[in-house]
Amino acid sequence: MESRILTREQVYENMMRKLCETHKHDLPICGMPLLEKILERDREASTAYPSGIAIPHIRLDGFQDTLISLCFMQNPLDFDGTMVSWVALIITDKSSSRLYLNIVAELLGLSKNQALMERLLRERDGVGIKHVIAKEGIRVSKDIFLSDIMISDPVVVHPDTTLKELNALMNTHNIAGFPVVDEKGRFKGEVNILNLLKVGVPDYLLMLENLAFLQSYEPLEKIFEQEESILVKDLMDKDVITLNSNASIIEAVYEMILHKKRYFSVVDQGQLKGVITAMDIFRKVIKA
Amino acid sequence: MFLMLLALVIFVLTYVLIITEWMNKMLAAMIGGFMIVVTGIMHQKEALMAVDWNVIFFLIGMMFVISVLKKTGVFMYMAIRTAKIAKGKPLWIMILMFLITAFLSAILGSVTTIMILVPIVLLICGELKIAPIPFIITMVIASNMGGAATMVGDPPNILIGSSTSYQFLDFLFNLTPPVMLITASSIGIIWLMYRHKMRVSNENRARLMSYREDSLIKDRPLLIRSGIVLLLMLTALAMQGTLGVETATISMSAGLLLLILSDRKKVEHVLMNDVDWVTIFFFIGLFMIVESLVKTGFIGMAAKQIIIATHGEPKAASMMILWLSGVFSAFIDNVPFVAAMIPMVKTMGTMINNPSAMHPIWWSLALGTCLGGNGTLIGASANIVAVGIANRNGFHISFKQFTIIGMIFTLNSLLISAIYILLRYF
Repeated sequence: MESRILTREQVYENMMRKLCETHKHDLPICGMPLLEKILERDREASTAYPSGIAIPHIRLDGFQDTLISLCFMQNPLDFDGTMVSWVALIITDKSSSRLYLNIVAELLGLSKNQALMERLLRERDGVGIKHVIAKEGIRVSKDIFLSDIMISDPVVVHPDTTLKELNALMNTHNIAGFPVVDEKGRFKGEVNILNLLKVGVPDYLLMLENLAFLQSYEPLEKIFEQEESILVKDLMDKDVITLNSNASIIEAVYEMILHKKRYFSVVDQGQLKGVITAMDIFRKVIKA
Repeated sequence: MFLMLLALVIFVLTYVLIITEWMNKMLAAMIGGFMIVVTGIMHQKEALMAVDWNVIFFLIGMMFVISVLKKTGVFMYMAIRTAKIAKGKPLWIMILMFLITAFLSAILGSVTTIMILVPIVLLICGELKIAPIPFIITMVIASNMGGAATMVGDPPNILIGSSTSYQFLDFLFNLTPPVMLITASSIGIIWLMYRHKMRVSNENRARLMSYREDSLIKDRPLLIRSGIVLLLMLTALAMQGTLGVETATISMSAGLLLLILSDRKKVEHVLMNDVDWVTIFFFIGLFMIVESLVKTGFIGMAAKQIIIATHGEPKAASMMILWLSGVFSAFIDNVPFVAAMIPMVKTMGTMINNPSAMHPIWWSLALGTCLGGNGTLIGASANIVAVGIANRNGFHISFKQFTIIGMIFTLNSLLISAIYILLRYF
């Protein structure tokens, strides 16, 4: 339990030192090389999850065990835009990915349990934390759902957002697609960069077999002359396939491949819950 | 008698569903077709025998041919070249497009021609900043006229050709001359109607003139090969009598040959996108329904009534068929109309028992149904397709707007046809 404000590196270093003290003989590498491996993983992609937990994972060759090190922080730390209040470092062998995923799922479940989190954060030492967790009666066999890994507070737009505002959002967040919701958070559709470009490309052009004879096309170049008057509802896709937050990873991957769509809105009973991208799945589940 | 009434009820219900568009027309025709079997009016074997497979495979073969020809870019090339020859002057573009549309419709069929040319005309009008609706309406009218000129141009003619002994050249000799007259006079009407209406700035014209239509032809060898196959197909159709082969065999041969010459390993795309299965199954359903009217004797009864009304006079019968089919085709899809008329005229033929007296009646049916299609927005498939494309691009053509213009051209067409029939055959 740390109450000072630390950097990520310092957190990892502390965890590494504790591990190396207690498991000196089991770990194939220790000290700076181990820290370097953790940091390397951290640089690859964010390890933080929306529920406020970061789960860095490293694989060590010849390590026939699974080790979990927990670190709770009094002051949440900014992990690439997500505020994280505890870190669970997992060290596994190169080949044990299934067990790892189950552990991640279980940890994510814990991190969403408010009452439990408060109890854990009150504990002062490792023995107490172990005790609290043991009392929960955890069995590692839980599956991962989209709700565990999706972006739960995505940037959204409204049907009445203008083209100008949409353009600004694309620039600030550097993303090409947004879910569209109404004022009550109900999912209305999606809008992406292709919808925006389509404003300058009428239907009849798409009916032509090829456009090799055209050098340029005025309406396309002049899309932004109407940026104040064109609204998201004029150009968004209304009939889009969405996923449920309790969908499994394979279900999401299946839909992504089937529909050649790398970005899905996660919708439960008409309410937007988040978005999931193929990259999220790749980084947080497959490659983790 | 009971079976006849039952068949008539199924027929009328199906046609009402087709005309009101309460459901997809193919679905309506298929349901009607199999209702005939389910209710025991005809055995399945009889009902399926009623399908004119010559028409079905002729259509499929033509769809293969067109799917390859379209890919060569030659039609777009022609359209843009035409606009350039007109130097971007709207009235000239309209007149030349009218001619090109009529010409292509005579070979490719009216619907295909409209689907290829209307998007280009929308683009050209957009660049010239002129209203496209008059162009679309006049092109639809041209497509139905051009389609009337040959056996392969419009579905009613395909149906007539397949169920009579008339061949490609018979259509060319009997129908092309009046259609040429009608087209020429229609251009006169266009000139009267639109000559003062359209103005275009030089800057917009310059944009059109900068199109590089040459780059549309990406596969020149394929274009040459398809051109040769198309010519061979037309020659074979013209020599059908000497060759002794049916039209479906000719179009399928051409279509299959072209598929081998273009993308012989990727025919799924052609089957999925370029063969219009809705039309194919619509025809199959219609054949089954109409056969039930023939089998139960209704068609014979109706034919007898026409003979009585016209006193068996070919002249009166021709005029009656021409105007009747002209009016009916204006308000209902001309394919189901002609499908029901063909067995009726055939029966009349056996009653009149003078083959040469039947010629003007058949040609009246062909001219009436094809040209009557111009009467209203819903008269022919080409009209509906064109209006659909215009709508999707934000140009709304109302029933009234189309009908006012369509009626002028239809009346002119039917009058010229009537004069032609009277002068040539009587």
